[in-house]
Amino acid sequence: MSPREEVYTRHGGKGGDRGKILAEMMNAEGKPEVLDDILVLDVSSANFAGIVAASFFAEFGAEVVKIEPPEGDPARRITPFGVTVQGVGIPFMFEGRNKRYMTLDVKNREEDRKTFARLASRAAVVIESFAPGEMDGWGIGYRRLAAENPGLIYIALSAYGQYTDKARESAKMPDTDITSQAGSGLPAQMGAPPNEPEPYTWPLRGGMWAGWYISGLSAALGGTVALLHRQNTGRGQMVDVAGMDAYSSMVGMPATIGFTWEKARPRIGVLDFILYPYGHWKCKDGFVAIAAPRDHDFRALLKVLGLWEQEDDWRYSSDRIPDILEQAIHLHKIIEEKTLLYTGDELVKMALNYSKKSARSKWRGGGVPIVMKLMTPEEAMQNKQWHIRKAFQEVEDEKLGKYTISSNFVKMSESPPRVKWVASEIGGDNEYIRKKYLND
Amino acid sequence: MEDYFSYTAKLFNPDEADQKPEALKGIRVLDFSHVIFGPIAARLLADYGAEVIKLELPFYGDLWRPATYWGKYWKHSNPIWHNITKNKYFLSVNLQLKESKELIYQMAKDADVVIENFAPGTADAWGIGYEKISKINPNIIFLSCSTYGQFGPMRYFPGWDLLAQGASGVLTLNGYPDTDNFYKLPDYVGDFVPGNFACLAVLMALYYRKKTGKGQYIDMAQTEGLMRTLFHYTYYSVTQKAIGRTGNVDPTMVPAAVFKTADDKFLALACATSEQFEHFALAIGRPELPSDPRFADTLERLKPENAKALHAIAVDWVRSQSLADVIRLADDKNFPAAEVADDYMIANEEWRRKRGSVVLFKDDMYGHLAIAGPSAMLSGTPSRTKWLARPLGYHNRIVLKKFLGLSEAEIEKLEKKKVVGTFDDRPGLKPPVYYDLSKDPIYNYGKEVGK
Repeated sequence: MSPREEVYTRHGGKGGDRGKILAEMMNAEGKPEVLDDILVLDVSSANFAGIVAASFFAEFGAEVVKIEPPEGDPARRITPFGVTVQGVGIPFMFEGRNKRYMTLDVKNREEDRKTFARLASRAAVVIESFAPGEMDGWGIGYRRLAAENPGLIYIALSAYGQYTDKARESAKMPDTDITSQAGSGLPAQMGAPPNEPEPYTWPLRGGMWAGWYISGLSAALGGTVALLHRQNTGRGQMVDVAGMDAYSSMVGMPATIGFTWEKARPRIGVLDFILYPYGHWKCKDGFVAIAAPRDHDFRALLKVLGLWEQEDDWRYSSDRIPDILEQAIHLHKIIEEKTLLYTGDELVKMALNYSKKSARSKWRGGGVPIVMKLMTPEEAMQNKQWHIRKAFQEVEDEKLGKYTISSNFVKMSESPPRVKWVASEIGGDNEYIRKKYLND
Repeated sequence: MEDYFSYTAKLFNPDEADQKPEALKGIRVLDFSHVIFGPIAARLLADYGAEVIKLELPFYGDLWRPATYWGKYWKHSNPIWHNITKNKYFLSVNLQLKESKELIYQMAKDADVVIENFAPGTADAWGIGYEKISKINPNIIFLSCSTYGQFGPMRYFPGWDLLAQGASGVLTLNGYPDTDNFYKLPDYVGDFVPGNFACLAVLMALYYRKKTGKGQYIDMAQTEGLMRTLFHYTYYSVTQKAIGRTGNVDPTMVPAAVFKTADDKFLALACATSEQFEHFALAIGRPELPSDPRFADTLERLKPENAKALHAIAVDWVRSQSLADVIRLADDKNFPAAEVADDYMIANEEWRRKRGSVVLFKDDMYGHLAIAGPSAMLSGTPSRTKWLARPLGYHNRIVLKKFLGLSEAEIEKLEKKKVVGTFDDRPGLKPPVYYDLSKDPIYNYGKEVGK
């Protein structure tokens, strides 16, 4: 570690070995892997929730085999604007972490189903996304596989789940990101308030794969709970993830608010329904995010922006939450008049200077107004914080060449996740898998 | 063989879930965290059977207790906080006193996991950080949650979900191109998603500890959690261009967007594969579309000019249909479509209640409340709701008695010295007005009272 890097792990207080612990976490190489003794089969099709879940197991050291027909998983061609590198789409490249690739056509070939069943008898986890009951009909569903391998964890992804009458009726409806977002309640909460023109008032899609990534994360989390139970008892189980649950089950608000308020929330644009100020504002040279929701943060923000005369207005000092929309929009505009006078850098500095003094002074009441320049993903990649933390990683695919990914989601001192290689070649590991697991 | 859906109905039967084993039984978690990001990781562990003791300061409590939507309380509690902190033990200890720290250290001896989300370095400065706790209990799994991580030049910057969304770039992606109309992701999803990531890391650490006996330190930065979900960085490194904002259209498939129907309702419709596209073309009575040279190949179809033309066809078709007709066709012809579900629909739709996606839970203190089910259903060791959030310090006595073996006299002494404390009269902290704590068996040292 360079002396410069050392600075970034140093913390105040009475010495101790915190800095040393953190410095050792800057690198994952050579450390043990959590799942180095399990085999995961990902036979999901045209479904990134399955691919993402498989990636998380692979990053923690599992042997993950992506199983697809000879023409490849259609997921390879789900990519922004049709952009690929030699036919491989960007999201598939992004998730091609530590994986093996094997060709088996379980949909059409009886023989390949048998091979799959033999592999599954040695696997800890199977991930699939066919229509509920389809794998079962082919004789390679959870029932059959678990009879051979009672420790098997079988993760099934679908739109409406594996049980209930609704699941039966809509079994053939495929799961995609945008239908998962819509069906689980995200777009209903995003968009301009009712007084603005169409289509801005429409429910809005989240600009990331919120449905698929939440389903994938939920599948990996449920699967890991099942792995712990298997570690303790030797028993496996089935894990059922429904895309139409994704967002609402993760954040929990829609169910409880719909029940207690007996109606749906309207869309309120850049406002927030609990905190204020908590959003983004236009400034001289772009946009800033401002979070100053606690009373003392809000008062501090008023001082920073030269708006102290608003302090004794009851509408804003004690009733900032926008259940009265006009009132909240009015306050939003008062703040905007001020933010427009400064550049993003100036506003960040003004807030930071106040917060620094506030932290040291008993008279300022601890108010910490936070201002940050909004970044696009491309700008975020340039941030020094992520260079020091190695949050982005340049990887090289043997066939596709070099590209950049955001690395793992967490740092751990003993058994951290890591990306060891990326690969994407259809059937690239057929021989390896057959030798290692099928004795062919 | 038995019909698949009757088999799965038995396998997952929600009515039997409470009798099934719990995967994390016997795991004890000390939860020092507040607001959403840390608490949700702890709650997920509690849902799967861990004993989670949530630590708060007397008379103040968690900052999120009074943070309810538009200031609307439900039975003097914050309705959405129940989802964030259910199944936990609520212990309220005055951290400024030496005796209080001793209590925490004693609990740390038998704990498996500690979770905190103060500004980096704060927990150590207070003597409840990894440095101190790992000396008391070397095999502890210690999770620190923060916005930018425990090291790096920005480590001391305070954060909220909003700032993680801003720092990762995801905030600028939700909206319309070439306009100022863009919005943050709603409902603090920038806390919930990283909180789930944090829980996944703890589960991995538990798995590793069972194999090796070793605990570890976990540094979860919520911005890095969000960054893990964006392939936008890879798109940029390959093309030197940004994906940017694309309004209501998902640029990775076509058609894929939010549409308005003839009856002025909203739905999402998508075709992720050629097969789904063929089904869609048949359903709308345009069977020639899949052989149109612009649309025949998936990658060709996705090119912006072709995608635009196909999107326009879909817009016109959906505008001529009622919502019910589109959904029925999608079910019959096998292409993806879903109505844009709002709070009221999610709370009330029958299939969600039957599946357990939404549970009408009956709580001893609050009565019935609809609460979200888990986002993954486990057949063997399902997640479950056992009790809702509780008033500040509600479990003080039972935690001290059962987990630390203190006598009732000793506990009364601690109460007198204000080492432990409870709520004042503010909503969010106190019990519902109709509820008599003096008759509550749990509040009263676990004794049966007045029954």
